[in-house]
Amino acid sequence: MIIPVRCFSCGRVIASDYEKYKERINELKSKGEAIEAASIESILDDLGLERYCCRRMIISHTDLIDEIIPFS
Amino acid sequence: MNLKVLEYSPRFIRFSVSGITPAIANSVRRTLISDIPKLAIDKVVIHHGQIRDKEGNVYDSSLALFDEMIALRLSLVPIVTDMKMNFREQCTCEGKGCPLCTVSYSVNKLGPALVTSGDIQAVSNPDLKPSDPDIPIVKLGPKQAMLVSAEAVLGRGKQHAKWQATSGVAYKYHREFEVDKQAFPDWTSIKEKCHNSVLKETSKTITFTDDFPCRLFNRLFESDGVKITEDDTNFVFKFETDGSLDPLEILDFTFKRLSQRLNLLHESLVGND
Repeated sequence: MIIPVRCFSCGRVIASDYEKYKERINELKSKGEAIEAASIESILDDLGLERYCCRRMIISHTDLIDEIIPFS
Repeated sequence: MNLKVLEYSPRFIRFSVSGITPAIANSVRRTLISDIPKLAIDKVVIHHGQIRDKEGNVYDSSLALFDEMIALRLSLVPIVTDMKMNFREQCTCEGKGCPLCTVSYSVNKLGPALVTSGDIQAVSNPDLKPSDPDIPIVKLGPKQAMLVSAEAVLGRGKQHAKWQATSGVAYKYHREFEVDKQAFPDWTSIKEKCHNSVLKETSKTITFTDDFPCRLFNRLFESDGVKITEDDTNFVFKFETDGSLDPLEILDFTFKRLSQRLNLLHESLVGND
């Protein structure tokens, strides 16, 4: 749906980092680079997402809000 | 008791406390998690029905997310907090809500747009605004609009996660690695990469501490020629804040609050006897 505001496990605010994460991924894609585990790792480290509970919030998220808007 | 701040930034702190017991260290940790007062939105009034802009265009107020979800997302947004405010139930207004215990906010946005926490406008006190302006709340489609008013009050982490000011609160023993230079020849690379972790060095041994994180310390565990000593009276704490309060302010309050609660317990146990 839409990115949760806080990490479910520890309570860190992760929603604002998701937007930055998306930006960085799109930047890599526009350069034609392949998205590898190492590049995702460095993005998450730069955003200060240290614990794996916060990291999984970002990595495992699927943004579906755009598909729901027409039906509201 | 001796407290030393090892690392500080506006959202993170690492500090060491020596001369305490593990029980006190854990009560400090629990106070940091659940006993820090902080502002969070507690009451949300969502306008239902048509919303008109200045030119008379009509917008719909039914959104992609349920009202409950919007209210929850608004409440989880961290708000810059003034510690001098009162709890509503202890306020002079007797729980009715006054500027001493309540801050009001409004959100007014026309679609298509992404409503973020930056759109939450502080009505009564402009200083107490969301500490992070980029948190998405909800996405508005064309001809959708959001008109919301909200009230924030002080609360504590034990009531709800929205009042939790800290995250990643953890402590560990102060640890020392006494490395025999001959038996563990890799010590030179550790000294080079983690130079502020060297405690003392002699011709035969070198002593490191992992008070400051360094990835190379992994090698020191379960290696020959390394003697590990842990001190259970000296603790290294760390925690993050969500931006609503300064880490030092939180730390200051924690120790005050803890001694206040322990005094209360002591008085109730021996006071009336």
